[in-house]
Amino acid sequence: MKDQILNDLDAVVAETWPDRDFPPVDLESKAFADLGLASIDLVVLAERLEKRYAKKLPFGAFLKTLRDRGADDVSIGDLVTFLERHA
Amino acid sequence: MPELDVNGTRLFYQQSGTGPDVVLVHAVTSNQAVWMFAGLVDALTEHYRVTSYDLRGHGASDRPKSGYTSAAMASDFAELHKGLGLGPAVLLGHSFGGVVSMHAAVEFPEAVRGVILSDSFFPGLKHIEPNFGKMTIWNDLRDTFAKVGVDLGDTVDFTRLFRTTASLSAENYKTLEDIYGAFGRGWLRQLPQLAETNCGDEVLEVAGLTEERISGITRPVIALYDEFSPFLATCEWLKQHLAACSVEIIPNAKHLALVENTPAFTDAVLRHLKTITEG
Repeated sequence: MKDQILNDLDAVVAETWPDRDFPPVDLESKAFADLGLASIDLVVLAERLEKRYAKKLPFGAFLKTLRDRGADDVSIGDLVTFLERHA
Repeated sequence: MPELDVNGTRLFYQQSGTGPDVVLVHAVTSNQAVWMFAGLVDALTEHYRVTSYDLRGHGASDRPKSGYTSAAMASDFAELHKGLGLGPAVLLGHSFGGVVSMHAAVEFPEAVRGVILSDSFFPGLKHIEPNFGKMTIWNDLRDTFAKVGVDLGDTVDFTRLFRTTASLSAENYKTLEDIYGAFGRGWLRQLPQLAETNCGDEVLEVAGLTEERISGITRPVIALYDEFSPFLATCEWLKQHLAACSVEIIPNAKHLALVENTPAFTDAVLRHLKTITEG
């Protein structure tokens, strides 16, 4: 399941920003620090993932939880866990 | 990606929830992600249809050279409102987003059910506001940029901020990126892009939103100002001069209550939205 979601994520990121050169992504990768995404990119990514999974995903709650626990970035592992639960 | 062409500019928007319409209008140099990261969108969608969008020049929207006055952006809002077929909406505007919202209430009252302001400064009220240019948030910026040997000046000057950032050496830019951290990097990245526009000067124009026109607003206005806001004179003026204005002070915040005191801000927004939409 994790691998499938990681593959989905990889594909959506590549489709969303075809002109950007991303490093290989694993569960330890950080959305901002490693992929160079900005906060608005996560809004775009959320919308694309909702389209891929054809359902509304509670991204706001996910991001707020990260912020509340003082996270300074969004790890791909956290994102995959979130998608496993909700997608 | 949901987007709409308004006034020749493509605006990126998001919409979720059902119920009376609420439109979120962010501040200069920000973007709609701020509402999502604070959890406000999720908090509101239980009761409202929430539309957030990136102002022109910001976030994922187009970045034209001009059209950054509150008048132009109020027109963008009106076109977005029409294009999405929204009903009369409550506008929640942070800082300059509040100015855009009030300008919309003046020019397009049929589209505006009410306005909730968060710590807005109005160029048309500059004469009653002694603290413009002395904003703590600007002082923080100035001090941070000074660490890379750059002087932003003592007075708020967006154009200078944008052009200064655009001319930073790669080394100094990287130093600032490290200071602002992962979450602030996107904000920093937007500044040099805005240097290509007239945004810095135009957002500080009165653009027709004069003292007289602000005082003529009849829609309900909720003025949420931060406890340590530099703009408490503006807050008091709004309370004294508007036909239907309620004031609430958000504790432990100095201009970014949405981020600095998210629970109190969210609670206030929910209470006041209920009053406006059920009143």
